[in-house]
Amino acid sequence: MSTIIEFKNVDKEYKSGEHILKAMDNVNFTIDKGEFVVILGPSGAGKSTLLNLLGGLDSVTSGQIIVNGNHVESFNDNQLTEYRAKNVGFIFQFYNLIPNLTAIENVELMKDIVDVDIDGLSVLDSVGLGNHADQFPAQLSGGEQQRVSIARAVAKQPTMLLCDEPTGALDSKTGVLILNLLQDMSNNRNTTVIIVTHNAILAEAADKVIRIKNGQIESIAVNENPMKVTDLDW
Amino acid sequence: MSLSKKMLRDIKINKTQFIAIFLMAFLGIFAYTGIYAEYYGLVQTSDGFYTDTNMADAWIYNTDFDNASLDKINGFTTQSDRQEVIQSQADMESKPDITLHFIEKGTISKFYATEGEDFNPNDDSGVWLDTRFAEARDLKIGDKITFEFDNRTITKEIRGLGYSPEYIYEVSPSSLTPDFNEMGFAYLSAKAYPEDLKYNTLLVKYDMSDKDFEAKLSSIDYLSLTKKEDQLSVSKFSDEMAQHKMIGDVFPIVFILVTFLTLLTTMNRIVAHQRTQIGILKAVGFKDSSIILHYLSYSFWPVLAGAILGLITGPMIIPQMFYPSMKTNYSMPSWNPGFDVSFIYIAGLMVVLSVLVTYLSCRRISKENPANTLRPKAPNVSSKAIIEKSRFWNRLSFNMRWNWRDARMNKFRALMAIVGVMGCVALLIAAFGMNDSMAELKSWEYDDIVHYESKLLLSSQANPMELYYVLNETNGSFIMQQSIEIKANDVEDTVTLLASNNTDLISYTDSNRNPIDIDEGDVSISTKLADKFNLAIGDEIRWHIVGEDDWVTSKIGQIHAEPISQGLIMSPDTLKDQGLNFTPTNIITDEKFGENLDSIKSVTTIDKMKESWDQMTTSVMMMVYVVTFVAGALAILVLYNLGILSFTEMEREIATLKVLGFKTNTLRKLLLTQNIIFTSIGFILGIPLGFYFMTLMMNAAGDSLYYIPTLTLGNIALSAVITFAIAIGVNLMFSDKIKDLNMVEALKDVE
Ligand SMILES: Nc1ncnc2c1ncn2[C@@H]1O[C@H](COP(=O)(O)OP(=O)(O)OP(=O)(O)O)[C@@H](O)[C@H]1O
Ligand SMILES: [Mg+2]
Repeated sequence: MSTIIEFKNVDKEYKSGEHILKAMDNVNFTIDKGEFVVILGPSGAGKSTLLNLLGGLDSVTSGQIIVNGNHVESFNDNQLTEYRAKNVGFIFQFYNLIPNLTAIENVELMKDIVDVDIDGLSVLDSVGLGNHADQFPAQLSGGEQQRVSIARAVAKQPTMLLCDEPTGALDSKTGVLILNLLQDMSNNRNTTVIIVTHNAILAEAADKVIRIKNGQIESIAVNENPMKVTDLDW
Repeated sequence: MSLSKKMLRDIKINKTQFIAIFLMAFLGIFAYTGIYAEYYGLVQTSDGFYTDTNMADAWIYNTDFDNASLDKINGFTTQSDRQEVIQSQADMESKPDITLHFIEKGTISKFYATEGEDFNPNDDSGVWLDTRFAEARDLKIGDKITFEFDNRTITKEIRGLGYSPEYIYEVSPSSLTPDFNEMGFAYLSAKAYPEDLKYNTLLVKYDMSDKDFEAKLSSIDYLSLTKKEDQLSVSKFSDEMAQHKMIGDVFPIVFILVTFLTLLTTMNRIVAHQRTQIGILKAVGFKDSSIILHYLSYSFWPVLAGAILGLITGPMIIPQMFYPSMKTNYSMPSWNPGFDVSFIYIAGLMVVLSVLVTYLSCRRISKENPANTLRPKAPNVSSKAIIEKSRFWNRLSFNMRWNWRDARMNKFRALMAIVGVMGCVALLIAAFGMNDSMAELKSWEYDDIVHYESKLLLSSQANPMELYYVLNETNGSFIMQQSIEIKANDVEDTVTLLASNNTDLISYTDSNRNPIDIDEGDVSISTKLADKFNLAIGDEIRWHIVGEDDWVTSKIGQIHAEPISQGLIMSPDTLKDQGLNFTPTNIITDEKFGENLDSIKSVTTIDKMKESWDQMTTSVMMMVYVVTFVAGALAILVLYNLGILSFTEMEREIATLKVLGFKTNTLRKLLLTQNIIFTSIGFILGIPLGFYFMTLMMNAAGDSLYYIPTLTLGNIALSAVITFAIAIGVNLMFSDKIKDLNMVEALKDVE
């Protein structure tokens, strides 16, 4: 398997007045293509920060982030935009769908940013929402909205899916459904999926588990025989 | 309390928005109270002046009011005072016309002295003089002045300078604005009259209705009667006030409506935007009442501060912009801005409504259960519109679809944007339209009608030999211009008579500015008057020259159009046919005339006439500037406010789109498209509304002005440039905001 993501000595500092907070402190790791990665850690550890840096939403203080051989940390605004458009599919805790657009329109919106022909209906079908295509986000349940947001993220066939507590706002049954979907994306489409979660049980389903604490990597574990999400004991 | 800390921080974060609210409240109240203060100032100052000087209720004219007839009239009046009113010439350069009032008691329509002594009815050697005339001629208290009338000469010493309630407006038929160098009035004691005095005017006050009074008066011999509201100065000034009121009824109301609309939407939106925060505050245990109180202060303070500032500065500043030009046309001892309790009411209403809207929006949210409020509010879209189901929809760009939906889901915001722009555009169109109209009137008069270079004003005691000499020297032509009073179909009006031979120096025109001839034998009436009196060719009118008693009846032979002075035009022979004398008042000529002759009182060049036109229209033009300025400022505020509203409301969506990989430029275009579409709709709707305002205002701009309101392309283009420049300018301010938008922070919280 080939390394697709590499963090090299990444530091991220937040300055608030005199006070400097190290949200990322010399972070190093690699992720291979198609891996299903789970990031664990206590609140405030820096999980979201890590994801945001990787997704090109924020910039490092020092260090390198190499994706597909490109140095993300050196990108300018336009390059970052293009990087996000082509490589990154974000999935948030609160879905962040465009309320103005129906489910299918939210998905087909991606046609405007990448040169891929998207059949919105079949993508929605793949997340089991084919018959909700014309509903607006407000007319969908939380789980359904999250599935639309996954559909939207995968529609543009990104290199990686970055999921920040994707099940945080859902009940556990719906959560499993979502996580299962994400695992499928990783297994069947060979998409790299990185999930931030508080739920340690998910570690057993991961190819790789990265634990962080106080902005530092605590451990990186590779799981030789990951379980299926649906087989976990929730 | 910690909530007040939160408010201060909120205000700091939404600084620009709060400043916009403050400015809007300020501007609305400023323009509203300012323009009305100008109008109320005129009403209050003139009323006060009339009261202070005990202005007459009516003037009765006769050849002589002897004691016997006076006794009879005293039987049904509360006060009376006799005068002999005579036209005279002051014995100084150019022999200015001075109206002398020889007064028996001086108790009604009293002279208002601003310098020197008060009027004294027993002082037979003093004169109390028109201060405007004295200023123009540089006359001082103690100076001697000689008047000539009916081959008599009297010389008196100036005891006082001041004003008279009967001369707020002084007629001067030969020029547009009163020329105080050439005319004035003087008050003298009846004892100052050189011989036995016959009183030709009786001033009265009465406490019954005009109708009853006229009925009582019918038993008495008299020549004519003028009631207060028909008196020339009074009616001119109340016309002027009516015009100001008309303007005042259009602009401030539009200003205040646009302000209210924007303000209320904004308050509503701010609270709606704080939805989650309200939920949180509730969830942690704050009482509804303290939450509501907290949010009420959001609208209360900025609106209160803005309203108070506007309330103070509006009446202070705006009237002072108009009064200087009013002073050139009218004479009163003081010009003070008026005040009306309605100003306080409207400012109070603004504060109360803002607070009320905030309260209602706030209460609606706090009534929901906290769990609900903690989640974003579901957009209120139910079903797809037909267009969204059509094939066509799918072919629309994302930009168009997104904007369409955004407008549908935020109907109120969209409506508000459109109405706001509409109001501002209408104001701009009306203001520029007035500007165009005034320019058009000027060019119509001075390019199409007047072809002479100078107009010589003739002395009323001119020497005929001298006049014919001047006529030959200058190749000129005699004209007669007089104020006349017309009656027809129960309408009365004081207008202008022009009697002139056919000459190349004056062209008559029709409504399309095309030259026409007025045929020998025809009495021609101007279109505007014909409309006002509801007259057609062949109808009859009764009229007389102001100051003369012979009423004549004439048949309308023709209708002409005149932009700046309304009245009758006929040839000298036609005038004689009506039984009146042709007494030339002016010579018009294409040549310059510089000789100093007794018969020529003054020479007015065409440039001077244009100047005096400009002077006369200053207050209208001032209104144009004020309106343009306020409308522009208001447009900026409205669009900025809406921009900031949609931006904060869409911040999260924009952040999401940015995360998804949309380019800043694409997003900017998204907002720009919305802005341009709303502005365009508002603009198109604003044009007819503006045209309507313009018609209202042109009607108000003057009884003597005749104009067919037209919308010029230039006007529309200029309004478009201003409106769209503001819309795009405001949009540019948001471009940077999109660029600098911190995606992580924008997406972090639920709201
Ligand atoms: N914009 C910011 N300014 C200052 N400090 C920040 C900022 N964003 C994050 N931090 C700090 O960085 C640290 C890491 O934050 P981060 O959001 O990555 O935590 P997290 O691991 O995602 O926590 P959680 O599980 O609670 O979401 C925290 O201590 C936080 O206070
Ligand atoms: Mg986090």
